[in-house]
Amino acid sequence: MVNRPACLPARETDTQPGRLGFPMFVQQLINGLTTGSAYALIALGYTMIYGILGLINFAQGELYMCGAFVAVLLLATGQVGLVGAFLAGMLAAALLGVALERVAFRPLRGSHPLVPLLSAIGASIFLQSLALLLFGPSDRPFPVQLEFRTVEVAGLPVSSLQGLILLTALGFMALLLVFVRYTRYGKAIIACALDRDTARLMGINVDRMVALTFLVGSALSGAAGILMAMYYNATYPRMGLLPGLKAFSAAILGGVGNIPGAIVGGLLLGVAESLGAAYLSSGYKDAVAFVILILVLLLRPQGILRGKGH
Amino acid sequence: MLTLKSVQAGYGRLVVLKGVSLHVRAGEVVTLIGGNGAGKSTLLKAVCGLVPVRRGAVEFAGEDLTRLPAERIVSLGLALVPEGRRVFSSLSVAANLELGAFHRRDRQQVRRDLEELMGRFPILRERASQPAGTLSGGEQQILAIARALMSRPRLLMLDEPSMGLAPKMLAQVYDILAELKRSGTTLLLVEQNARAALKLADRGYVLETGRIILQGTAAELQEDPEVQRAYLGKGYREVWE
Amino acid sequence: MTAYILHLAILVGIHIILAVSLNLIIGYAGQVSLGHAAFYGIGAYVSALLALHLAAPFLLCLAAAGLVAGVCGLGLGLPTLRLKEDYLAIVTLGFGVIVDIILLNLGITGGPDGLVGIPAPVILGLSFRPQPRFLALTALLTLLVLALAAALVRSYHGRALRAIRDHEVTAQVLGINTPAYKVAVFTLAAALAGLAGSLYAHYITFINPESFGLHTSILVLSMVILGGMGSLMGSVVGAFLLTVLPELFRQFKDYQDLAYGALLVTLLIFRPQGLLGGGKLSLKFLRQGG
Ligand SMILES: Nc1ncnc2c1ncn2[C@@H]1O[C@H](COP(=O)(O)OP(=O)(O)OP(=O)(O)O)[C@@H](O)[C@H]1O
Ligand SMILES: [Mg+2]
Repeated sequence: MVNRPACLPARETDTQPGRLGFPMFVQQLINGLTTGSAYALIALGYTMIYGILGLINFAQGELYMCGAFVAVLLLATGQVGLVGAFLAGMLAAALLGVALERVAFRPLRGSHPLVPLLSAIGASIFLQSLALLLFGPSDRPFPVQLEFRTVEVAGLPVSSLQGLILLTALGFMALLLVFVRYTRYGKAIIACALDRDTARLMGINVDRMVALTFLVGSALSGAAGILMAMYYNATYPRMGLLPGLKAFSAAILGGVGNIPGAIVGGLLLGVAESLGAAYLSSGYKDAVAFVILILVLLLRPQGILRGKGH
Repeated sequence: MLTLKSVQAGYGRLVVLKGVSLHVRAGEVVTLIGGNGAGKSTLLKAVCGLVPVRRGAVEFAGEDLTRLPAERIVSLGLALVPEGRRVFSSLSVAANLELGAFHRRDRQQVRRDLEELMGRFPILRERASQPAGTLSGGEQQILAIARALMSRPRLLMLDEPSMGLAPKMLAQVYDILAELKRSGTTLLLVEQNARAALKLADRGYVLETGRIILQGTAAELQEDPEVQRAYLGKGYREVWE
Repeated sequence: MTAYILHLAILVGIHIILAVSLNLIIGYAGQVSLGHAAFYGIGAYVSALLALHLAAPFLLCLAAAGLVAGVCGLGLGLPTLRLKEDYLAIVTLGFGVIVDIILLNLGITGGPDGLVGIPAPVILGLSFRPQPRFLALTALLTLLVLALAAALVRSYHGRALRAIRDHEVTAQVLGINTPAYKVAVFTLAAALAGLAGSLYAHYITFINPESFGLHTSILVLSMVILGGMGSLMGSVVGAFLLTVLPELFRQFKDYQDLAYGALLVTLLIFRPQGLLGGGKLSLKFLRQGG
């Protein structure tokens, strides 16, 4: 079940804080953007689901874990390529998300918003302990040793793994933006989020759009999980807990229901956390997100970007 | 074309429609007038499936709508312009129009319809990429009507299209309705603004506290002393003449 | 064997205090806290530190534990209780994580190892180290907490009834969920959790942050939901069942969390009022449109 916040060391943060001045700062910035891109991907799921249902899907972190496990297990067989495993992991997370909506959310529609939240907590505990039973508590390394080296970008050292993760994550975010802005179904999802009854008058099946939202949001969380499994070289049942909670803070930071906001919020949060750990205290790294969460909710509950829906 | 047979509907324990029967024939313009809270909007929502019908039946073009979910209604050729316009405020004007045709599969024709509507309502083309929420009330009403037309309805229902419009805008909206009438679209027009509605309509019904208390041709209703007193009251200037 | 049963009975008592206090927040203020274990932990650490470093007498430790936890509850509740229910849930969860991290990082709290050698309670020269005596102490406190909660609930009903009588203010008062009322309930609940923490620390004699994390918050929440949100007797039954059942099914320990998760989802879908719920209050709260 849920437990201790685990601060896993990132692969390349082993430099001592404060010593190296500017390059060190840039390195922390890049580390922050890398983890932040994962937060952003998960936050997109939160924000889209909150937008359309008005509910927090507390089990978002478990979809992240699910994506990572499926990809890692497939890769470990040696039969599946990296891209294939990646897509399969996303698909598995997406399907699990849709199933979750059916089981833990849909029967509760119309009840007090706390009830589905609690039910999602139950689902989250269930999935975590299921993973624990199936896969055991220990970390699994990423089966493919990605060859990564440090490349110079504008005179600054950037690890190619981080570059790859960042680019992939940003690519997915761009795809999502295109999906909601320019496709029929994307617009239909927004219509449902804005005005359910009127959307139905247009012939839009709200249930289907909710399922589609879960599908897309969960696939993104799955992708985030796979990327972080590569980055930290570790996959374990509880890996989704903290990123899930932090991504929620990111969604709040960007203004709930605001899609670009979730992206900005996620990246900002990653950077704040990374700089906080480097310059303040690494022991309190995991607290940064929650301090930000509480401050944002108290001072600017609509988020940092002017929140007007999508 | 549309028939309601002693329809009862309401919210929770509240019964709003207490057995309403009415019909609309193909090509007709029928108006339903009534004061605040009479149940006009509830009636339209009951037809569309947004409010469940408890007793009675709704039929449209030979199909039984009584238990059909709202999202299935539009593909039968029935569209509603809801009260208060209800445009999707943060979506662009063009996206609003496209969503009006969400159920249609004939993409090519949808594109042509979109072009045609934008030609007919130049303001929509001008503002095509602007969020619908930034339009004025009257412009939003036009958008809401155009959005409904994008579904190619056989029967168009409008809920108080004149609500909150300045005289000039109101005249423009009613011009659009008159043009739709000329082109043979069947209309069910809900109004508090009885004067404008009766002028356009062929027939009308008067709804009061959930019951039809009066019906007849538009001319008959205009002559009716009760209607004149309650809905065409003195001092109320015909605004779009 | 007797020792083991006494041990379980003491834990049941402590859990009842926790569950009842959380239920006050959920059932009577319509808000949920996912960080209740933080107040429990604050109480435990305050009490233990006072006893270890200042050799403070037990009753003082106990009072201080309740007071500090209550003040923390007030500090958290005052600015946050106006948030929407689900946001508040996450804020309290965040608060729980922050407290957990602080306990892990502070020097004085002993980090991950925690504190050891916490003395057993001594009141007026009488030591409560023997288990039966500690059980009596726990039972007494538990009964006091239950009586207090029952009085509070009765006054809630009373107020609701009065509100219906005075027509004009019905809308406002019916859901007596005025901010001040919520803050007061939240503060009281935090203080009660602090008391439970003090009892736990002096009973177990060693504590570390592990007992006060999200896991515990959710365990207590499960007790409340199982028994019935808004039902005091329900919380007692929930605390009893979720303390004793896991012991009975020890050989299935690995499946325990799996069962919790499944139980939560199933209960909320099929019997959201819990085992003993069905009180008008809890139902009204659950039926409110989403
Ligand atoms: N969603 C709802 N829930 C509960 N009651 C409602 C709801 N919508 C309308 N009502 C009630 O139903 C009755 C009829 O409302 P309805 O909107 O149909 O009236 P109307 O004739 O359209 O009035 P108006 O001209 O003001 O739009 C009113 O008493 C209203 O309070
Ligand atoms: Mg109306």
